[in-house]
Amino acid sequence: MQAVLERELVEQQWTQEQQEVDLCLDVTDLSIFYGPKQAVKNVSMPIKRHSITALIGPSGCGKSTFLRSINRMNDGIKGFKAEGNILYDDVNLLDANIDPVALRKEIGMVFQRPNPFPNSILKNVTLPLKEHGLKSKAKREEYAETYLKQVGLWDEVKDRLHESALSLSGGQQQRLCIARTLAIQPSVLLLDEPASALDPIATAKIEELLLKLKEKYTIVLVTHNLQQAARVADDTAFFYQGEIVEFSDTKTFFQSPKEKRSEDYISGRFG
Amino acid sequence: MDQGRASERLLTQRKGQKRQSERKGKIIVYTAATITIVATLAVTFFLTQRGLQSFFVSGINPLEFFTSANWNPSGADPSYGALAFIFGSLAVTLLSAIIVAPLGIGTAIFMTEIAPRWGKRILQPVIEILVGIPSVVYGYIGLTVLVPWIRDTFGGSGYSLVAGVVVVSVMILPTVTTLSADSLKSLPDGLRDSSYALGATRWQTIRRVLLPAAIPGLLTAVILGMARAIGEALAIQMVIGNTRIIPDSLLDPAATMTTIITLNMGHTTFGSAENNVLWTLGLLLMVMSYILVLTVRYLASRRKV
Repeated sequence: MQAVLERELVEQQWTQEQQEVDLCLDVTDLSIFYGPKQAVKNVSMPIKRHSITALIGPSGCGKSTFLRSINRMNDGIKGFKAEGNILYDDVNLLDANIDPVALRKEIGMVFQRPNPFPNSILKNVTLPLKEHGLKSKAKREEYAETYLKQVGLWDEVKDRLHESALSLSGGQQQRLCIARTLAIQPSVLLLDEPASALDPIATAKIEELLLKLKEKYTIVLVTHNLQQAARVADDTAFFYQGEIVEFSDTKTFFQSPKEKRSEDYISGRFG
Repeated sequence: MDQGRASERLLTQRKGQKRQSERKGKIIVYTAATITIVATLAVTFFLTQRGLQSFFVSGINPLEFFTSANWNPSGADPSYGALAFIFGSLAVTLLSAIIVAPLGIGTAIFMTEIAPRWGKRILQPVIEILVGIPSVVYGYIGLTVLVPWIRDTFGGSGYSLVAGVVVVSVMILPTVTTLSADSLKSLPDGLRDSSYALGATRWQTIRRVLLPAAIPGLLTAVILGMARAIGEALAIQMVIGNTRIIPDSLLDPAATMTTIITLNMGHTTFGSAENNVLWTLGLLLMVMSYILVLTVRYLASRRKV
């Protein structure tokens, strides 16, 4: 009797929490096709505001496709088709009337390979500001300093702002790319394996940065590195063959996964 | 598998028999390379030696050659001022580069960024065919279409600097377009993605990200086009009018170094001053091409992505 009551209480709390949760993106029944091939199958995922949601799973499981459909980076691909809802505020991001250019200013993306522009370090951050209409050069440089500080790069580059961004190390380049994305003042950051090309120290710096950034931004992180997901993510989704096998808070996912396949994947038995 | 000790199998006493085929390949490659190098050096040496004879043997004043436009090598009191032809060559080359650079780069952008499928399927083959058309055909078209049109529209004979410029521009346009498109295509996709992901429009991406990144390659394309323009003789000769004076306007006839060489080489005696100055013009053309090629190499070495 006692036990049943306790469980009811817990369940009640859980539902309450669930209702109070402030969702930034609410994905429901999302299916993505490339021609006849279905890459993502009926995926639903609530993404909480100011949290880090990690997407894990073996290569080709659809997690990057899922990520790239949020800011409509797949639009140009031949045969691409998406069904379902990605609710953001009061609008479905898959709506044909969504302006991808405006959308990408609110939902920024960082890629697997650091891809700074072949310009100076400073210009990498000021260019998006300029293109988005910030006329004053002094203002732009002031902002650039803010964002470079935010990603912890300022002290490393402040004396060489006019050198080529390509002279930076991989980890520095990636942080520069994050700073560049922050400069467009998005509310959501999509990161597609941002640390997979980096060494452990640079990776640690990126992770530290992500934990800091989640206070201001909602972060969706695709990663191959399970430890990374365990270290930084609040929620974790395990993708396998286009489906979500399991989605729960990270602690539950890694310590007591409900699904056998999740357990196998976490313990390295496949994938 | 060889038996015995490693020292017997691996030490070099058996080199002779084992490397027979190696040696054959080596001889073929080395011979080919030697012939190419010797031919290049021989042409350079011959041209230099011949080209300098006007100054050292025929006693022509270099100052006169480069600064006077008075060209009369076969007169009683011969004069050898080549300035009009140097001017003609430079004018044709620079003007056609100015016309072709925006057209070629614009077409390349269209082919790679705006309509890649259409560009690849239709535009690219068309442009490659244009590269293969011999220059005499371009000249012939210029002669039968362009020259009469200029005559009827602007007056004069129609044979003019502008006719030469237009013909050369059409000739080098495919070269510049193809090379520009290659340079845009070779940009890493990450660059496009990152720009679009930052909320840039297509035009912003092209103008602020792709073009700046491709600049060394685009300059190379234009310079190689110029190298082709400066060396072109036949097509220009058919439409430019071939006069010995510096033209006052685009509609006046002119001449280039190449046209003067092709026009006169047949009726001058080898070793005469008149013949030597033609070699000097040839040497000058070679030096100019070398400068263009060196510029291209310098730009290529600066290419970062």
